Amino acid sequence: MNWLTKMFSGDHPAANLPEALRERVEQWRALEEPSLDSSHSDTRYCIVNTEATGMDLSKDRLLAVAGIGVEKGLIAHRDALEIGFDSPAEALVQMLEFIGKSPVIIFNAEFNRTALMAAFEMHLGFEPDIEWIDAYWLLPSLFNDKHDRPVRLADWMKAMGVETFQRHRALGDAYAIAKLFLAAQSRASQRGYRTVRSIVDLAISRKRLQRSISS
Amino acid sequence: MTTAAQVLAGASTDFLKRYSPFDQMQPEALEFLGERLLLSHFAKGSAILSPEMGQPRHFFIIQRGKVQASQAGNVAVTEYATMTLSPGECFPIGAISAGRASTNNYVALEDTFCYQLPARDFMELMRISPEFHVFCTQYIASLLNQSRQQLQTTFSQRAAEQQTMTTPLGALIKHEPICVTPDTPLRKALETMAEQRIGCMVIADEALKPVGILTQSDLLPRVVLPEFDLSRPISEVMTSKPHVLSATATAYDAALEMATHAVRHLLVVDSMDRLKGVVSERDLFTLQRIGLRQIRASIEGAEDIDSLQRASQDIRQLALNLIAQGIGAEQLTHFISALNDALTRRIIILELDRHDLAGIAFSWVAFGSEGRHEQTLSTDQDNGIIYDPKDSNKDEAKTRLLAFAKDVNKALDACGFPLCKGNIMASNPDLCLTREEWERRFGAWIRQPDPQALLNASIFFDFRVLYGNEKIADELRRWLNNAAKGNSAFLRMMAHNALQVAPPLGRIRDFVVEDDGMIDLKKSGARLFVDVARIFALRSEVESSSTVQRLRQAGQKSGMPADELDAMIEGFHFIQLLRLRSQHLETEHDAPGDNKVHPDRLNELDRRILKEAFRQARKLQLRLKLDYQL
Repeated sequence: MNWLTKMFSGDHPAANLPEALRERVEQWRALEEPSLDSSHSDTRYCIVNTEATGMDLSKDRLLAVAGIGVEKGLIAHRDALEIGFDSPAEALVQMLEFIGKSPVIIFNAEFNRTALMAAFEMHLGFEPDIEWIDAYWLLPSLFNDKHDRPVRLADWMKAMGVETFQRHRALGDAYAIAKLFLAAQSRASQRGYRTVRSIVDLAISRKRLQRSISS
Repeated sequence: MTTAAQVLAGASTDFLKRYSPFDQMQPEALEFLGERLLLSHFAKGSAILSPEMGQPRHFFIIQRGKVQASQAGNVAVTEYATMTLSPGECFPIGAISAGRASTNNYVALEDTFCYQLPARDFMELMRISPEFHVFCTQYIASLLNQSRQQLQTTFSQRAAEQQTMTTPLGALIKHEPICVTPDTPLRKALETMAEQRIGCMVIADEALKPVGILTQSDLLPRVVLPEFDLSRPISEVMTSKPHVLSATATAYDAALEMATHAVRHLLVVDSMDRLKGVVSERDLFTLQRIGLRQIRASIEGAEDIDSLQRASQDIRQLALNLIAQGIGAEQLTHFISALNDALTRRIIILELDRHDLAGIAFSWVAFGSEGRHEQTLSTDQDNGIIYDPKDSNKDEAKTRLLAFAKDVNKALDACGFPLCKGNIMASNPDLCLTREEWERRFGAWIRQPDPQALLNASIFFDFRVLYGNEKIADELRRWLNNAAKGNSAFLRMMAHNALQVAPPLGRIRDFVVEDDGMIDLKKSGARLFVDVARIFALRSEVESSSTVQRLRQAGQKSGMPADELDAMIEGFHFIQLLRLRSQHLETEHDAPGDNKVHPDRLNELDRRILKEAFRQARKLQLRLKLDYQL
């Protein structure tokens, strides 16, 4: 046990983590941070999606979480993960390991990210420092010719001719988001948004713009 | 593989199963494919693959969208210039199988999703899935056909120019002229056309001087649509002042006339302007080719060397025409060797009249490529004699045979088979031997396979009877097969020797070329197949001396799959076809450039197929290597 974990021990929930899981979290922390200035073709992004009992963050709980890697602009079928939430701590550590330090693509962060962060806090005792990119905002800023405002996943799938094998399942929707993200990468590169940072900024500024319009 | 990965793989194979060849593939192969697939996206207008990208790293299957394939550069290698590919279609099959850059540019016509399979996994999939293998090889075979068609076009232009164009029109006319007078009722004229199955009717006056013509294509606008009365005279609808040429004008003049006036028929007249017949466009281009049968007849009826010389010219011309008609290398070499055999036999018969060989049994045999039925157009003569003196004195019989052989060799030389520089000719006392003497000689080579003996074996073991007593030669063949089969050390040395030359395939560049930038298609192409086939034949007692027959029969005996054999044989044929072509196009006669090809000057498609042919040679060699642990 190193000094860092000692410092966090005590009445903190992480202290209740089994030794093995705690070590895996430490290993995750030690991973090198990717540069936000890398181009899409040098980056592994990770699509993350959750499946919950409902959409009410206060009372619904997570059922499953899925991840799909998009590396060098390609979805590899091998690079995928889907886990149930029967042992939440174990599931979350596995998910962290799967994500690594890749920038995460998520659809509707408002729900998905918030639910995941709450789970990390509750079961692992901390909120991991992850670069989140919300496709909900990224897509309308790139495909404004199709939808010039944020719309539901089903609408994007229809507009872009994207299908998946099973809707409303963590992995099924993740696959649809992954395909949409492939198209988004192509469009972003065409428009000169070639780095991770450029699309992070694109999604954030779009979100701010929308806020300022509505407020 | 995690469960999630299996789910994604399953989703992709569910999609692929809607398309050929994936719908026929075994579940294990599909699973292999699904696990390894990658998915990519190409925005409308973006390049997916181009020749400049070099060797393709992935095999693509379109999942959604449309891709346009268009030929790079200005050389058309396939029959299409551009082609649109839709979901389920794959590319680039030829390039990825052959490990070379694509010849096409592939561009996304709309936003497109593609499955991608890494090149290495593609090769493995070919290996584990027979269905996928067949799909890819059939695709490549269709390329081969296209190449053959292209070759055909090149040659038909040449053949047409050379042959038809100087022929006098009088010689093109096959039938007595059919004509009617100007006052003939149209109905009667049309009935005649229908009866005689002719495309046009000539109208001539009493002196047989043509005054008009009516063709089938005139009928619609002049007769049918205006509801012309059929009982009225033909002169009212005919074209008057028809195009006329003299019977002494050439086919070239006729072609020019037809092109200038956009007509399909010309009337041929004699010196008195009387109708002799009609020449159609079709006559010019198809009917005037020297036929196999005519040459054969002229050879068999020849009474002297002069007429045989002409026949030998005709054989060359025929070969050219046969290529023009799209005949493959196998049939072509067969035709050539059948005619050359007939020519040689006729020479022998003519010489037998002048030599007294009564009381001696002998057979005239061909060695080397002639022995294998694989003569191209520039082969010198390789022949010998097996004889049995019977009751006559042996030395005296041999003297008589040698004198006869000398004259045959000379006559063959006069007919376009140059004398053999290595003196492998029947007039050489060392090659005019009794069966026992041949057996002793063959036996010595088999027992002591030094380099010279192996070289000799590669020439003399491919013997075949051209004339005379077949029985002596059959006995020698059976004896040889027995002797060789029983001597594994000899076969092993032969195998070692056959592996001395490797196919000229490069690791970095496509081909390894000689100092002059060329590939010798005989030495480093055809011979690789020939040498291996000979060993296969000797060890499995195949009697044929032809490489293709040897491969096929010996291969079947040793349980090689038929499709593998076919691919090897196809490779051999392609190399032979390229040899014939280079002999034709570059030199009309024997020249040092024969058998050589400049790979950079081949078109993209031929280069690709040539590479595949060399791969087949390598495969064959590998088999031999394994068999003899070399």
